[in-house]
Amino acid sequence: MKWYESCGKDRDVIVSSRVRLARNIVDYPFGDRLDDASKKEIIAKVKDALADGKEYVFRDFASLSETERIAAEEEHAVSPEFARGSGPRALIESADGTAFIMILEEDHIRIQTITPGFSLDEAFDKAREIDGKLDSKLNIAYDEKLGYLTHCPTNLGTGMRASVMMFLPGIAHSGDLRSLQNQLGKIGLTIRGMAGEGSSADGCLFQISNQVTLGVSEEETVAKLVQITERLIEQERTLRRKMYEADREALTDRIMRSYGVMLYATLVDTQELFRLYSDVRLGVSLGVIDCVTAERLDRILVKCMPAVLIRDNDGVRDARSRDRARAETIRRLLSGAPEGKK
Amino acid sequence: MLCERCKKNNATVFYRESINGKERSLSLCEECAEKARKNGELETEFPVDGFFTKPLMGVDKLFGSLFGFPQLVGQTTSDGKKCPLCGATFRDLMAEGKAGCPECYKTFSDELSSTISRIHGATTHTGGAPSRFKAGRDLKQKIRSLEKGIKTAVEEENYEEAARLRDELRAIRAEKGDEEK
Ligand SMILES: [Zn+2]
Ligand SMILES: [Zn+2]
Repeated sequence: MKWYESCGKDRDVIVSSRVRLARNIVDYPFGDRLDDASKKEIIAKVKDALADGKEYVFRDFASLSETERIAAEEEHAVSPEFARGSGPRALIESADGTAFIMILEEDHIRIQTITPGFSLDEAFDKAREIDGKLDSKLNIAYDEKLGYLTHCPTNLGTGMRASVMMFLPGIAHSGDLRSLQNQLGKIGLTIRGMAGEGSSADGCLFQISNQVTLGVSEEETVAKLVQITERLIEQERTLRRKMYEADREALTDRIMRSYGVMLYATLVDTQELFRLYSDVRLGVSLGVIDCVTAERLDRILVKCMPAVLIRDNDGVRDARSRDRARAETIRRLLSGAPEGKK
Repeated sequence: MLCERCKKNNATVFYRESINGKERSLSLCEECAEKARKNGELETEFPVDGFFTKPLMGVDKLFGSLFGFPQLVGQTTSDGKKCPLCGATFRDLMAEGKAGCPECYKTFSDELSSTISRIHGATTHTGGAPSRFKAGRDLKQKIRSLEKGIKTAVEEENYEEAARLRDELRAIRAEKGDEEK
């Protein structure tokens, strides 16, 4: 199931877990040095390598409309570079919606898995399974000393980026983000804000990932991220409680106001959506709101992204019609039967 | 290539940065680079991307400039050398901040080694491998452990054991030699 369709562990803090593996095929240059004929060869080779089962869906990504491409980015299926790039490229998606193989992103092949909640081991196992399938059919570029050879030297070694998307209103409120960023940097991890357009931190969403890929094994990378994430989950929960206890009435008021807007507003823009999402998601974790789940809110956030709205709704064109469709989508998804189990 | 400033000496220091989408590049000799550094022209910090950037964006920019940072590039220009597979020169790699093809890492292994160890704080991969390399990796590990075993056995004056291990090692090496031919 897609990451926004099922619950997963520690969902109050962890939105999703991701693993990305960068792979390249020997004898082909990288990026701009590839001509279109070679690009098509690579696409065909990867497609063939995964053709044995029916569990993959192949899409000629270059032939999709811009809306569809950006919508895929907004659903976290592909990277911004891949969505906005040009030239032949393809996307292979697992039928269960958890794995995406980008062909001709920065590297020839990017295997990406995304699973709900805190589930890095699951994401890693899925990525490794696909990696094994590709490896049995393709000559993957590798060097005994440098490991997997990648376009950018920052990915040499394992070619792996493991990450968790965290909802951190408590830590953000405490103002400790800068020092957290520094601390994580010292142990080879990075944190990035994941706000929408306008780049405000209203969504309180942050992605934490490993930076180093050479000299550490895949297992060590995952284990370290798991260990740090566990600590951050505890810290976040404590800070949320503290924030709540500091002024229950004021925070409850803010949360309920945002919930009220979600239920009744007619027009909602992206920036407001992030703020509403963050308030109500916090409310759910504090027990202030019990008629909606965190994963339902994550689903709302994805389904209300601009390109997704245009793709999924008829007659959405300008900003006004988008804001209207967004408000409708929020209301519709809030009133639906709860998905998944807490 | 001549230094952009004095137009006399060979340029050995290549500086490249991108600020707000604007690219700036300088090719200087060591002398002029030293002056520029003293004047604070090259004193820019690593352009670490903003905290609230979009996911996945910015990484390339950051390391693109890291790759071309003067201190990291060192003095070698390796002017004539070209990658046999993709035709890239080391200067191409520096300008792009990325390799031209997998083979580039072999072609320019000397030039790249300090940059790689600077980025990762390590020089040797310790993780997984494609299946066609696994046998070789296992064999290497076996040879290493046999060599270690022989050394220990000799130190302990257990010559019988050392001889046995040596025979085993010889057999493996002979087999490996056949394979390679
Ligand atoms: Zn000069
Ligand atoms: Zn090359």
